[in-house]
Amino acid sequence: MMSAAPPPGIVKAADRGLAACEVCGRVSPLPPARCPRCASALHLRKPDSIRRTLAMLAAATALCLPAHLLPMLTIVELGRVTPSTIIGGMLTFWESGDYPIALVIFAASIVIPIIKIVTLLWLCAAASGWLHPSPAALVRLHGITELLGRWSMVDIFVVGILVALLQLGNYMSVIPGPGSLAFAGVVVFTMLAAMAFDPRLLWDRLDTRQDPARIQTRESPPD
Amino acid sequence: MSTPRTSRRAAETWPKPAGTRHSACRFCDALHVSEPVEEGLAARCTRCGTMLYQNRPASLARATAFGIAALTAMVLAHFFPFLIMDAAGMRSKLTLVGAARALIDQDSPLLGVSVILFTIVTPLVLAGGLVYVCLPLHFGRSAPGAVSVAKWMYRSEPWNMVEVFMLGVIVSLLKLIKVADVEFGAGFWSFGMLMLFMAAAVAGIDREELWDRMEIARGGQTAGPAR
Repeated sequence: MMSAAPPPGIVKAADRGLAACEVCGRVSPLPPARCPRCASALHLRKPDSIRRTLAMLAAATALCLPAHLLPMLTIVELGRVTPSTIIGGMLTFWESGDYPIALVIFAASIVIPIIKIVTLLWLCAAASGWLHPSPAALVRLHGITELLGRWSMVDIFVVGILVALLQLGNYMSVIPGPGSLAFAGVVVFTMLAAMAFDPRLLWDRLDTRQDPARIQTRESPPD
Repeated sequence: MSTPRTSRRAAETWPKPAGTRHSACRFCDALHVSEPVEEGLAARCTRCGTMLYQNRPASLARATAFGIAALTAMVLAHFFPFLIMDAAGMRSKLTLVGAARALIDQDSPLLGVSVILFTIVTPLVLAGGLVYVCLPLHFGRSAPGAVSVAKWMYRSEPWNMVEVFMLGVIVSLLKLIKVADVEFGAGFWSFGMLMLFMAAAVAGIDREELWDRMEIARGGQTAGPAR
């Protein structure tokens, strides 16, 4: 009695009431809602995946403003105080001819967070039926954003390293600024958003499109 | 339901727990019957091609050995400085704990704690956890609390930022080289080794194999031939 909208011969675990444990991968019947192997909570799909992803994205987007407007660090050199933002620090590298480092900072601090936020919004829109769900391509995009996300943290580590090294008494010292905490928040929230998203929703959406009758067999309500 | 695209040779597979086991693709949820795969081969989803599981050669030995190597490199990275800087007649040295403490001392405790979490705690949980779980599995035993340790390994994996910190050290060196004499210390190279050993240890054993072996060691009956 399986309505096989996906290619013939392929059955989804959820259609048989089976759920793969997110932690150990074991496929077991649901209920009971606990994995018999590792006792983690079992779900057919990540609970509230789209709403959670959007909430994390909202937090990350809101933090983008203070992250870029407030100073990442403040240099106190012979009594002269120079605050420096992410973009300012990047431009200093660019002006002094250090193009590779300027590009690394530009990619890690500006391009990657924006790409991540836009990609995840796109994934949420596709999974909730606003855009065509092209699972094969979108899932790959999701994988790339998960892979790239951590690299944005590089600026935070640079702040930590400079603060630790440049404590030369009255001659020169470096103080971390509020922008760095906000930026760390952007990185952590985009990572949490990528983890909250369930790529299986894209395939579910594709299957319900191809076979509307299938909606009745699925847990998710129609649009 | 379909079986993954694989060939089988039972002698080279890890022991499977009793009963029919399924695996579901984590991307498209297609259900497959878990068939053993030959060493060095992987089972892929018949719908979207995602890797379901793979049989890594000498998996337990590799995960344990590279895990121990990673732990050794980790100890060295804490004893030697990452960067040594001479400026204004003063010599400063950078260590991981030093960077975290400087942030905490400068009223950024959250940043200091994240540096500790992402560069000290997660690599320790990953490498230490692999050794703690895989070494006893060699002798068919399950270490006490192995299930919780394996869960924490899985949770900490995305937060391991060893290689990102390496890039941070390089960027900082290029930034500082204009105002001071800076050079890489032995800690930096140890951390580089840690990065390589960690990658090898984590890639050494597949999740399905690790959990199957743990399940059997904890008292499940053996359905397949033991290695």
